[in-house]
Amino acid sequence: MARVNILIAGVGGQGIITAGKIIAEAGSYSNTKVLIAETHGLAQRGGGVNIHVRIGDVNSPLIPFGKADYLVGLEAIEVLRNLNYASRNTEIIINSYIIRPVLPKVKLLSLNEILGKLRGLKVHVIDANSIALKAGNPKAANAAILGFLYSLGAFRGLISEDSFIKALKHESNIIAFKLGMGVKSMLKVF
Amino acid sequence: MFELSSLKRVILGNEAIALASLSAGVGIATGYPGTPSTEIIETLSKYKIYVEWSVNEKVAFETAYGAAISGAYALTAMKHVGLNVASDPLMSSSYTGVEGALVIVSADDPSMWSSQNEQDNRYYGLHALIPVIEPYDPQSAHDLTIEAFKLSSKVKHPVILRTTTRIGHVRGPVELKPPSKPVLGKLIKDPKKYVLVPENARRNRLEQIRRWERIKNEIENLNEFIDNGSRDLIIASGISFAYVMDAIKETNVKANILRISTPVPIPKNLILKAVNEAERVLIVEEGEPIVEMEVKDLLYDEGIRVELHGKDLISRIGEMTLDKIYYAFSKFFNLDIIPNYLELPEEIPPRPPALCPGCPHRSSFVDLKKAIVMASFKPEETFISGDIGCYTLGLLPPFDAQDSSTDMGSSIGIANGVYRATGKIPIAVIGDSTFFHSGISALANAVYNKTPMLVLILDNRATAMTGQQPSPSKDIDIGEVAKGLGVKYVKYIDPFDTTSSIKTLSEALRWVNSNKEPAVVIAKRACALLVTDVIKEDELPKASVNLDKCTGCSICYDYFTCPAIIPRSDKKAEIDVYTCIGCGACIPICPFKAISLVGKKPDKWDELWLG
Repeated sequence: MARVNILIAGVGGQGIITAGKIIAEAGSYSNTKVLIAETHGLAQRGGGVNIHVRIGDVNSPLIPFGKADYLVGLEAIEVLRNLNYASRNTEIIINSYIIRPVLPKVKLLSLNEILGKLRGLKVHVIDANSIALKAGNPKAANAAILGFLYSLGAFRGLISEDSFIKALKHESNIIAFKLGMGVKSMLKVF
Repeated sequence: MFELSSLKRVILGNEAIALASLSAGVGIATGYPGTPSTEIIETLSKYKIYVEWSVNEKVAFETAYGAAISGAYALTAMKHVGLNVASDPLMSSSYTGVEGALVIVSADDPSMWSSQNEQDNRYYGLHALIPVIEPYDPQSAHDLTIEAFKLSSKVKHPVILRTTTRIGHVRGPVELKPPSKPVLGKLIKDPKKYVLVPENARRNRLEQIRRWERIKNEIENLNEFIDNGSRDLIIASGISFAYVMDAIKETNVKANILRISTPVPIPKNLILKAVNEAERVLIVEEGEPIVEMEVKDLLYDEGIRVELHGKDLISRIGEMTLDKIYYAFSKFFNLDIIPNYLELPEEIPPRPPALCPGCPHRSSFVDLKKAIVMASFKPEETFISGDIGCYTLGLLPPFDAQDSSTDMGSSIGIANGVYRATGKIPIAVIGDSTFFHSGISALANAVYNKTPMLVLILDNRATAMTGQQPSPSKDIDIGEVAKGLGVKYVKYIDPFDTTSSIKTLSEALRWVNSNKEPAVVIAKRACALLVTDVIKEDELPKASVNLDKCTGCSICYDYFTCPAIIPRSDKKAEIDVYTCIGCGACIPICPFKAISLVGKKPDKWDELWLG
């Protein structure tokens, strides 16, 4: 049986745990095992967080370094912080959204500076926040990214579109997912 | 709430433990919130058994123990460091045993994702002679919780169920066993057993050892030997078993596997059987070499010499990962595993966790720092003794307002010692739930020993960091507690009212300086998440910056650092309306009165914040 590793990173409050729940639930509708390692507690307070999503023939919850098939950033800087989980074969999906860390006089990186550090890698950039707004729910960026991941074939043979639709539940999430499926990445480097 | 009629669910390990204890017949469940244990009690509280958030882990333990010595099936859940607080009754419970069942969930946090240390609580099993059961995934957490209750009721002895972050906070498919009728107790008077005067304790000690010998046999079948016909044996404890299974598949090595689900005591017969077939042994366990020590001890007694590896190949620091096992395998099986991953780029902006928009602590720290200066205290000579809670984040810039924070209630205790060593008046900063947890006794000590200090109690009406569980402060007035303990200076402030808060805090500092006794100031304002849980997002007012008045001085985003205030490229401030909750805390911070609120005050707004 196939096995897929997806690392989803972002900032506490962006709906990362919810994204994990949706994948896990969709997995159960498709009778596919999904393990999600979540971040709870203090780290959730606006800090950088990630979840490890392992799908298929897996027993253990954490993705080893370099073994993420997909590295997803709901926030762009957080992709860099989790780059250890990626190798040159990893497909990297970046939401073109940057959140300023809550620290005085912090030096931010622009999207171009971030992409500059990812030169030579397989990178997709999408504007999931705009898709979410288009779907009528500013919090549905996570659903939009899942839709995009789906269209890349991340869940092929493991979790069906119908299972996702069932797990997404709310209309606006389903719309964001479908819009995410249809979107072309703003930048695709291969 | 989970429909218990549908038996397969995708749930967290902690939820699996809660639902399993219902299946085992738990009648009473207690705990104190602490990551990564919290969801166990939260889940149980949705069902019709007696569940309480106790004021601290010791009381939680004693409540469950009191129920269990009365014949009930009881569970108490806490994070690993919480068991330190409950360690006194833990040791005694092993002497007396129980009548019903007592399962103690110790949720350990290797890698310290949300804790001050990564102590391995399997040691408590060795220390107290209490069996430790350790699951390896959410399903086994469910199944082994039921076994823990069975074992406890069978041998009449407490049982520790030891989980870790990657058990309790992993979501996966779990086949649920149906709930059973809760087992409650009946009054049992047996002072010869439960009054631990020396005569009774000595008799209990003999019984304890007898039960321990019995436990050694009872736990054998909770472990599993997988014979793959190899001369290499891997012994894997708890979650390490799941990692070993995956690593074996990926590296195609052949080995016999012994799954350990009772690291304390180890299954002696099964281990001897497995080792007898082996030429070489690799012990894979997270944290400390607990199983390794026990196995070495056993093999020495049996006169068996075999090549054995453990902590020489697997670090005791941090949680288990496949990478650690790949390294151990590369040495043990002589494999060529070349790590292939990308290096982290340089200069990634740090992103530590931060106080939320609307958090009253942010204002409290700003007020306190101004008051220190206003009271003519020297900031560099004023020790701010911090504590455990969201406000520990006050250690970060721009606040730099925690000089220590080591354990629950430590702020007041440490302040006692800092004053005695230096003669400089310290400030103890402690939250409301932490104050009730273990600050009260330290405050009594400060009064009794006349230790001059300012105690600033941040009363945000909740146990916030773990998810806004209720706090005793909603029912017990902290100011009355302080007065009752004999504190002569007790004042309340609203941290958002900066002018009067700074005045009161500086007065309090001066009062401590002249009277050389403790003073208490209570900063009372609710956790912002309690408010936003009630008010709908589209009803929230929003802050707005008048750009004509804003001078770009940067105070609001660099010295107040609300996540909703963002610098523009011209250095003027703007509000991120998706993040702003309209609390108004930033309004008095702006020296140019450039910030105001737009929108109507929602119903019950003041009551929610200040009630």
